[in-house]
Amino acid sequence: MIRWRRRSNRHRHLLHAYLFIAPVVLLFGAFRVIPAVQTLLYSVYKVELLRGRFTFIGLENFRALVADPAFAKATVNTLAYVAAIVPISAALGLGLAVLFDARFRLSELFKAVYFAPMVTSTAAAAMVWWWLYNPQFGLFNVLLRLVGLPDQPWLMSSHTALTAIIIFSVWKTLGYNMIIYLAGLQAIPQQFYEAATIDGAGTVARFWRISVPLLAPTTTFLLIYDSILAFQVFDQVFVLTGGGPANATNVVVLELYRQAFERYNFGYAAAEATVLFLLILGITVVQYLYSRRFEVAY
Amino acid sequence: MRAAGRLGLYLTVTGVAVLMVLPFYWMVITAVSPASDILAFPPKWIPSRLTGEHFAAAVAKAPWLTYYWNSLVVAVVSVGCSLVFGLFAGYAFAVYRFPLQNVCFLLILSTLMVPVQVTSVALYVLLARIEWVDSYLGILAPNFASAFGVFMIRQGIKAIPVDLLEAARMDGAGEVRIVLTIVAPLIKTTLATVAMILFLGSWNDFLWPVIVINSQNLRTLPVGIALFKDPYGSINYGPLMAATVIATGPMLIAYAVSQKYMIRGIALTGLKG
Repeated sequence: MIRWRRRSNRHRHLLHAYLFIAPVVLLFGAFRVIPAVQTLLYSVYKVELLRGRFTFIGLENFRALVADPAFAKATVNTLAYVAAIVPISAALGLGLAVLFDARFRLSELFKAVYFAPMVTSTAAAAMVWWWLYNPQFGLFNVLLRLVGLPDQPWLMSSHTALTAIIIFSVWKTLGYNMIIYLAGLQAIPQQFYEAATIDGAGTVARFWRISVPLLAPTTTFLLIYDSILAFQVFDQVFVLTGGGPANATNVVVLELYRQAFERYNFGYAAAEATVLFLLILGITVVQYLYSRRFEVAY
Repeated sequence: MRAAGRLGLYLTVTGVAVLMVLPFYWMVITAVSPASDILAFPPKWIPSRLTGEHFAAAVAKAPWLTYYWNSLVVAVVSVGCSLVFGLFAGYAFAVYRFPLQNVCFLLILSTLMVPVQVTSVALYVLLARIEWVDSYLGILAPNFASAFGVFMIRQGIKAIPVDLLEAARMDGAGEVRIVLTIVAPLIKTTLATVAMILFLGSWNDFLWPVIVINSQNLRTLPVGIALFKDPYGSINYGPLMAATVIATGPMLIAYAVSQKYMIRGIALTGLKG
């Protein structure tokens, strides 16, 4: 009798389980998983959306991609952007976190100020920076003139535009990196520092020998998280430069957006999306494997 | 030496704070200064007089209330659906054992690795077929559920003692009632944190709305502000900064009020990935 009741209970639970996960699984299946697979699939098709025609063309899109100077420039710019923003944000974030690890007056207020750009919409914040970067009247050049330094072309020159975008992005993401490092620092048991101090280790030695190794999991998380986001950079480029001048700040997602939604080359854009996906996957796997070698158990 | 260290600490921290605040400050100052101040050299840190003309110009040029309404509808519906669906799915993954459980869970988590940037092409084609392009449903389609939400809620529910749920079942409570009246109140901190992070993500989302929306009256705030800058017309920075104040002000005020809680929530959970 009891066995029978248990079984029926189990079946009832199975029904509940599938009913409860059904909305998420169906919605994700329809709007996330299937489009992801389809994007990979479209990369070997010529897609004509208005006529509803899909023509299989093999690797033709990828062949065109390799020969496309705009896409090559977008890829190089994206890699340069990732290579700059990720270590700079992480290093500055760590530096600030160390400062904030010591409690001082108004530290909560300062923390809130540092984090404020993070909660602001990137598109709106970039609009403000577009004004700051104005070569004639923008605040940055006005300040340079005040201290007697030469004007910078900022977004107007292909030599400085990408750097200007990177400076904006550091401003935007610094607070997040700091907060995550601070949480990591505060999780390190205090007795390690005390023991090291008794052994005669100075502040610098304690930082390099205790904080940095024990923060390895935090660093891994931030490097992977920041890189994934950096590969997807779009909003600030769209607002600040639109990819210009002369493709100097074009990035993969912007190029993909243009191909798909301005020129309606969906198959070609799908091939670009596939490359982006492989880049994100590759960097994640490499960083994960590489960083495990530095992890310390405690 | 210690005093010098303190001084260095305060100088550094204040210096960085000035750099962080400067764009916000200049945004507000430009928005309320008369045109002659905006182009003045040396810069006018404090306006010679306050003016509302730039706000009037910004309001005349774009329907900000409509943008607010659109952002609000999208954020509330997507956060609401994500919480309800996430609550039930999180409960199922935390409490039940069923075939294909791990496959389904990994399937949901794998979507974190594949951002909308990658899926947008096929998603747009799909939505064009079912005629969801240029509608609320189109913006909402990839945001009705959240993998991050499911994961966080499952973690929260796992911490609830099983005995508590068993006792409720003994009392004859149905599973739906258990989820809504026992589980939900117990994990309300998790739910609030997830809601806050998802709301922020939806409120500031730009790429997908700009792809899927063509009509001006369906633009969300970030799309509205990004397309406010007329690339061919002459640029007037006063109204532009007034517009950014309109677009970012309420969120910054909400942040100022609740920053301690928001920072802690984000530090504990990471942002929506």
